[in-house]
Amino acid sequence: MKPTQALAKRVTRLALNTKNTNKGYYKGTGTGSTGWHTKHGGYIIDWEKVRTYVVPEGLSNCKLSPFVTKKIRPQKGRFEGDPKGAFSGERYLEKWKEENGED
Amino acid sequence: MISFSTMSTSTMVRPVVWRMLRASQFQNAPPTFLLPSLLNTSLQSSPFSSTSNNPYPRDMNRERGVSTQRRTGLRQPVSVSKTPLPKPVLDSKKRSKVDVDPDHGLWQFFHSKEKPMNTPEEDHAHGRAWTVEELRQKSWEDLHSLWWVCCKERNRISTESYERQRLDAGYGDAEARGRDAQVRVTMRGIKQTLTERYYSWQDAQQVAKTDAEVDLSGEGPAYTPMDYVEEGNVLEEESQFRAEVALSPEAKPEAKSVHNA
Repeated sequence: MKPTQALAKRVTRLALNTKNTNKGYYKGTGTGSTGWHTKHGGYIIDWEKVRTYVVPEGLSNCKLSPFVTKKIRPQKGRFEGDPKGAFSGERYLEKWKEENGED
Repeated sequence: MISFSTMSTSTMVRPVVWRMLRASQFQNAPPTFLLPSLLNTSLQSSPFSSTSNNPYPRDMNRERGVSTQRRTGLRQPVSVSKTPLPKPVLDSKKRSKVDVDPDHGLWQFFHSKEKPMNTPEEDHAHGRAWTVEELRQKSWEDLHSLWWVCCKERNRISTESYERQRLDAGYGDAEARGRDAQVRVTMRGIKQTLTERYYSWQDAQQVAKTDAEVDLSGEGPAYTPMDYVEEGNVLEEESQFRAEVALSPEAKPEAKSVHNA
């Protein structure tokens, strides 16, 4: 469902909330759709659409921090000068051959 | 008609009258105009205001005048009226301590258990964000864990900012925002690394179609390295080989082709 766009605009003085106006004005909260409405007023959840969060297994033992010490200066990338750069398939294939190619 | 007396009790005789009575002993007779006040006339006593404590007011609304906001109390007593209600302890030092599990998961929303938030100095003491070059070296599991570590750190910063505002604690928001910005840069880098990997993987699939060494059809090994010698180095290597053979005849003849792994 999409909210009534004209009424949701902040340009107008009507910066409407979900609680404002009569029935007929719908405004979501950005959480996303998880199913569909039935014609009788109910709602059916589509479990394919429902979001699940996968917790990484080694999270409690993870020693990585969001920060890196400032003593280590940022270095030039390995793809410097490469026109395709990090999206290069040739470089990917090279690396793949080195690491995984031979069984 | 409302009649009221200036004194609440009706039985007491006024002191002025009392003095008059005593004075009359000497003067024999009280003045006649004071006679009505000497008599103990029954004085009507009624309350100052005329409102009655009627449980059923005229509109039969039993809740009339009853307010929780103004703490009027109920009009009629209920079964718990005599039960003493618990009173809130307003002094925080007198409140009883609540036992909290030291390993409760919600503690992870704070940097320290001892204080509600970090000092601005502690918040400012962080490093720089990860560069994309550093993140490219990391495995999927590491990146996944790092993403969650970043999320948790952002939750911590956000909780403490909210708490700082609620308690009106003072300075520290600027340092918190700077810290949050660095965490977000790391998260951006993780996303970029994964995007790069995906696009380069897609491109690699296209390149592999034209690569003779790679066979992704599923029949046979995916990678068959072809030994090849680069044209420029052929003569060089041949002459080296011959020199080695001349020097050490016992040495085993090595393979001519250079295995380019």
